Amino acid sequence: MRIIACYSNKGGVGKTATSVNLAHAYAQAGRRVLLCDLDPQGASGFYLRVKPSKKLTEARFFEDVKKFTNAIRASDFDGLDVLPANMTYRDFDIFLSRMRNKRSRLKKALNSVGGDYDVIVLDCPPNFSTLSENIFKAADVIVVPVIPTTLSERTFEQLVTFFDAHKLRKKKLHAFFSMVQRRKTLHQETMKAMSKLYRKRFLKACIPFASDIERMGQHRAPVSTFARRSAAASAYRALFEELEGQTD
Amino acid sequence: MKGAPSQDMLIIPGPMDSVMPRSVGDLTLHLKQDLDQTPFVLLDCHDQSLWSSGRLLIEAGGTLYLLCKDGAVLRQKGRADGHFVRDLHDGPVRAALSDFPALRALTAIGRGLFETRALAALDDLQKTQVRGVVMTLMSDAGQVTIVALQNLRGYDRAYSRVIGALGNGAQKLGDDGVFRSLFPNHVTYRAKPDIAMTTDERAFDAARDIIATYLKVARQNEAGIVADIDTEFLHDYRVSLRRIRSVLSLFKGVFSEAQTATLKRAFSDLMAPTGRLRDLDVYILDRDNYFSMIPEELHVGARQLFDRFESERSQVLARLARHLRSRDYNRRMADLTEMFNGDKGVQPGPNAERGACEFACALIWKRYGKLCKLARSITPETPDEAVHELRILCKKLRYLMEFFAPLFDARSFRVVIRPLKKLQDNLGRFNDCSVQQQALMELVQTQTNTAGRIDARLGLAVGGLVAVLNQRQQAERARVIDNFRHFDGPDVRKMFRTLFHEKEG
Repeated sequence: MRIIACYSNKGGVGKTATSVNLAHAYAQAGRRVLLCDLDPQGASGFYLRVKPSKKLTEARFFEDVKKFTNAIRASDFDGLDVLPANMTYRDFDIFLSRMRNKRSRLKKALNSVGGDYDVIVLDCPPNFSTLSENIFKAADVIVVPVIPTTLSERTFEQLVTFFDAHKLRKKKLHAFFSMVQRRKTLHQETMKAMSKLYRKRFLKACIPFASDIERMGQHRAPVSTFARRSAAASAYRALFEELEGQTD
Repeated sequence: MKGAPSQDMLIIPGPMDSVMPRSVGDLTLHLKQDLDQTPFVLLDCHDQSLWSSGRLLIEAGGTLYLLCKDGAVLRQKGRADGHFVRDLHDGPVRAALSDFPALRALTAIGRGLFETRALAALDDLQKTQVRGVVMTLMSDAGQVTIVALQNLRGYDRAYSRVIGALGNGAQKLGDDGVFRSLFPNHVTYRAKPDIAMTTDERAFDAARDIIATYLKVARQNEAGIVADIDTEFLHDYRVSLRRIRSVLSLFKGVFSEAQTATLKRAFSDLMAPTGRLRDLDVYILDRDNYFSMIPEELHVGARQLFDRFESERSQVLARLARHLRSRDYNRRMADLTEMFNGDKGVQPGPNAERGACEFACALIWKRYGKLCKLARSITPETPDEAVHELRILCKKLRYLMEFFAPLFDARSFRVVIRPLKKLQDNLGRFNDCSVQQQALMELVQTQTNTAGRIDARLGLAVGGLVAVLNQRQQAERARVIDNFRHFDGPDVRKMFRTLFHEKEG
């Protein structure tokens, strides 16, 4: 099982769209995927038309394995399930450690309801906290969308510094440029500079600034399901393929 | 997958539009056209064993659909009508048919029109809460709608609501009613039908019922033999006739002596034209095995041998098919059927009035004693003839027991049948090896020219095969003593006594 965290310490960078499209791409490739909506403002559940369950807001529901497994919802796509949770970080901590422990009751419970997951995609909340640190430790891959602007450059720098300060493995960080507008000189220059500065941290795939991605909110579905041939859909596919190539 | 989300298969009489509601509570049922009305063939084994195991195999529009009792709908491209399961392409349908009898071809049981639609139960956000497939089968006689539902994780409540709304009056795969409504005229085939028997039945009536039943079974196989669907039709045909002949020879004195003799001759005449075809079937079915028995250098000759078998088989089959279609044959069968189904025509003998049960016990007990006596005398030095004799005794005992099985407790019966069956399998293999050697030798005789010469490659192949068959025969023979010892154990002996001997007193 592989845990892919989609993280950004800055909001509005296309993190949720990335989580949803990436999770969908993995499911399309035949993996069993659980997409966890951890961001209180996040909308991955919304994008997949999954209503949050009342039980999810109850405190410490993770202590009850059954409640947890009952909260999982099948999406409309084969192999893609959603945990539309809005959980406390204490719960999440327990969740991560149990997902890592093969013999935990949680794993057994998951097995009993239709097999374990191959990939867990986490749509993370945007802040540095104990939770973030735990995510950084637990995840195999941390996917970081970066808008090629001066401000984003600074927040990415903060993230790298945080990794250094906490002695976290920077190798897990896989940044990519998001909401890219090629005709903007600033975008082009920032991309050039950052790619040079963080040579090993940036993926080649770029997600363009595209109206198709915004339309996900209308369609409430992954881009490739309603705009299969669009630039946005192929960009997410390229992102998936690049991650697959690196993480396998 | 272990513990996969649950699925259900509901079978609802009637066309799709009339059985599917538009909505269930606040869920809208959305149907999307998948496969337009297309001719379908319902495929099964001759005895409908797929259907009775809760499976439905449909061929429509170049796709095979296998509907399973647990709700799964498996699909794979390809055709299967008239094919053996091993001839299908690899795929989920073939995999799920792995238990289908290897010697049986998939045959058309019925035809009609087939239509499928994808079903989604949507909530107010257009989110699918229950997914499924709706299929309609239409025949000249009726329509049946099959709904395969899939429980999506986290939507159990919606699932049970949809099941609740559709499931009213729904039937299950394997229910006879469903089948009847589509194909009311289809006659279900049973190679060994249950013959109703009561403890106070007369031996005469029992014998007549058994013969009438197996005459019917034999006739149900005629079309399959003529169409050459698979080799089991002829096999079942012969077994039915053999059962009838064993009733005639074992139920001594139930019919008048003169009539018994006439009937014996009549059934022996019916059996005669089938023997050679069966022998050839056995060879050809065992072809791969033959080739694996001998070194590759001898395969050229073995191929010649099998080419001869194949061409002889088509001649023999054509002859038998002509015979089975002939007016004379059909008149004979019709006369016999009438004779055993009606009250007139069969003349009772001195034992006719004996109770069937008491008569059966006496026969079985006597046969059993005879069998044990012979078997116990067999040592490694005994000539093969004794082993052949033992095989025939076993067969007769088994037929007798099976005829009267309905009169006895099924579980106790199994205790004695199982070791007997094992011994019979052993003896059967012994016999096959012996018969095959003999036949190969005869073939060499017919292929030898006046100067006493034979094609060298053919001769080599036959020589190789005879040598291996002889070794196998000896090995099987060596096992007979062991298998009999098992059959002759105290448990089985006690059970025989309890079942067939103590009742008498």
